[in-house]
Amino acid sequence: MMRERLGLVTDGAYNTGLTVRLDAQCSTEDLRVGELVVVEGQSHRYFGMISDMQLRVTDPRLLASPPHDAPPLVTEALAGTGTYATLEVKPMLMLDLSVEPDEQRGPQRVRTIPMHFSALYRASEMDFATVFGKEGGTNFAIGTPVPMEIPICLRLDRFVERSNGIFGQSGTGKSFLARILLSGIIKTRAAANLIFDMHSEYAFDKQTEDGDWVKGLRELFGSQILVYSLDADAAARRNVDVTLTVGLNQVEAEDVMLLADELDLTATTAATSGLLVDQYGKDWLRQILGMSADNIAGFCQSSGAHPEATRALQRKLKEVQRRGYLKDEVPFSLIDEMVTALGRGRSIILEFGRHDTPLDYMLVANIVTRRIRRLYQQKVERFEETKAEADRPLQLVITLEEAHKFLSPAVARQTIFGTIAREMRKYNVTLMVVDQRPSGIDPEVMSQLGTRVTGLLAEERDIDAVFMGMSGRSFLRGALAGLDTRQQVLLMGHAVPMPVVVQTRRYDEDFYRVMQGTGARRDGLEVTSADIWAR
Amino acid sequence: MRIGEIIESTSVLFVSESLELRQSPALGSLLRVRISDDGDLYGVVCYGETRSLDPGRRAVRRSTSEVYDDQVYRENPQLEHILRTEFTCLAVGVLEAGGILQGLPAQPPPLHFSVHTCSPEETARFTEDLYYFRLLLSASLPVPAEQLLANHVRRVYGERGGDDNWLRRAAQEVGHLLKQDYDRLMAVLYGIDQGSSPRAGGVSTK
Repeated sequence: MMRERLGLVTDGAYNTGLTVRLDAQCSTEDLRVGELVVVEGQSHRYFGMISDMQLRVTDPRLLASPPHDAPPLVTEALAGTGTYATLEVKPMLMLDLSVEPDEQRGPQRVRTIPMHFSALYRASEMDFATVFGKEGGTNFAIGTPVPMEIPICLRLDRFVERSNGIFGQSGTGKSFLARILLSGIIKTRAAANLIFDMHSEYAFDKQTEDGDWVKGLRELFGSQILVYSLDADAAARRNVDVTLTVGLNQVEAEDVMLLADELDLTATTAATSGLLVDQYGKDWLRQILGMSADNIAGFCQSSGAHPEATRALQRKLKEVQRRGYLKDEVPFSLIDEMVTALGRGRSIILEFGRHDTPLDYMLVANIVTRRIRRLYQQKVERFEETKAEADRPLQLVITLEEAHKFLSPAVARQTIFGTIAREMRKYNVTLMVVDQRPSGIDPEVMSQLGTRVTGLLAEERDIDAVFMGMSGRSFLRGALAGLDTRQQVLLMGHAVPMPVVVQTRRYDEDFYRVMQGTGARRDGLEVTSADIWAR
Repeated sequence: MRIGEIIESTSVLFVSESLELRQSPALGSLLRVRISDDGDLYGVVCYGETRSLDPGRRAVRRSTSEVYDDQVYRENPQLEHILRTEFTCLAVGVLEAGGILQGLPAQPPPLHFSVHTCSPEETARFTEDLYYFRLLLSASLPVPAEQLLANHVRRVYGERGGDDNWLRRAAQEVGHLLKQDYDRLMAVLYGIDQGSSPRAGGVSTK
């Protein structure tokens, strides 16, 4: 196994990472911050990432009078002696080389650091395979490390068991990445998916920024995907399975509170709607919408609600009532059918069609998710009673775009999504939040996200937010800042053994073939565990 | 080729008298003393001088407006007997039983033994390893060590037939040895470069 030697460890601390003096023939320009590197210690092999680079001189006088127009002989003699570079390397994982390959459990978290003058190498393909595993099963190739052509795998079984986030500023390829991940989850049957598709872009063919047409998930996976739509007109034009309607009876006070921003509601609204629910129960919304001025006065008198506030609430709720998909009374059976389909492992895309304002999106997503979560809770409780494997509910991943609207600090405590994100996998329902402003999401929710996939972020606050609750964020910051604007992401968290920068897989004909299982699977490295872990 | 005889010998330096008056070997060139049947001692010429045999007597002017330079020696043949040329070498290593050991010799070279020039092969063989640069830089010498080293590197480069790889290696070694002293380093490097870079009309290092 040939690796390129980069330098020697000269300094370091467990807390701050290692300092490596770069060999004279290595240029910093050939390396990248965030790159995977390997340190060969005496009894352990360490895997880490380059977190920083520095240029140094041995004699400070050189800084004061750098050689002008120096002949090549002089600059060559200075390179690597009088002038040199150091790398900061943060070790993340280590492999015990004294353990027999057969008993090897793979790389573990670092608990020590290598001694002086251990050699640093650029990671080889074998090293990537050692850390990220081979493609296959729930190990899903999400892309390649930036300088190489070997798959980096995400463990989808681990990915779906906690809530996750996909972040990146606009144009970094979030929705394609989400599509690739969803395809992986569907293909490997790691979980069922419910996708709230605000801009109707997941189900059917869509044109990219470059003008190419890409396939939707429905085209890719056929009947494994059910498409629901809120928009009856669009449903008639497109190949939609079910047109979803929502009843006023399904709207709860918490849904209205979620819309506080959209409807410009005041703080007294919570109190007023609470009083309405006390009085009328589930029928509260229909009741207030149907009230005349006299009724309102009567209600205020009997309940102690503020008449002005109640009238204002009624006025604003009329706007909700005008939505085409809202009916007076709708049974929950439509949503319950969704849960049945999800329970059988099918995935559902809910399109919003022309009802794509934040108000529609938030209202419907909240109502649907609350019902689904309740049913899942029942399922889990039943499973805990019977302990029969057949009753074990299938993992469900809810994909949520514009997630900050549901998970902002102001509303995250009230919405069902905040609850799901916080309680994690208890009820087998997790979120995949897709957002360009992670700083808009409640820090408590952010810190609960298991796996984070992030493209380039420009805003300082967003960068801080995306590293919330991660260890070693100062090391990762450099890697994030060095990402290309498109198709490069930083993977970190629960589903990958260590953070890594990847060039994401292309969503193209090759990908379709692999997903539809017609093409030959990409061959992984033909390695045995003995090859991987032998020195 | 035999060029001199050792007339003063210490562990570090040895002084030889040149066989021919005014025929001192070049500063920085590598010389060889045969010290046993299969043993050689190597030295680098670090100083040369021509002076009166009698240390107390200074030379006096002998030229006229018609007779000067070489003609002075032809007109005054006795000068061959009252002047002498000496050169000093810094011992840098020995060849023993087929192996080269760079560093100071165990014993100073024997007095009155002959000093020879090195063939290109011998030079190439001895200079393959560059450890002896340390001796050149650290010895206390009558000439600036940086100038001596630069001269030496230029000469060896020529002896080795313009070996660019060796030159680059030598420059890097100097860079490594003088990494803490930028001014001395530059003195050596620019000294080497004058005789070997394209700027000075020499051979390119590229």
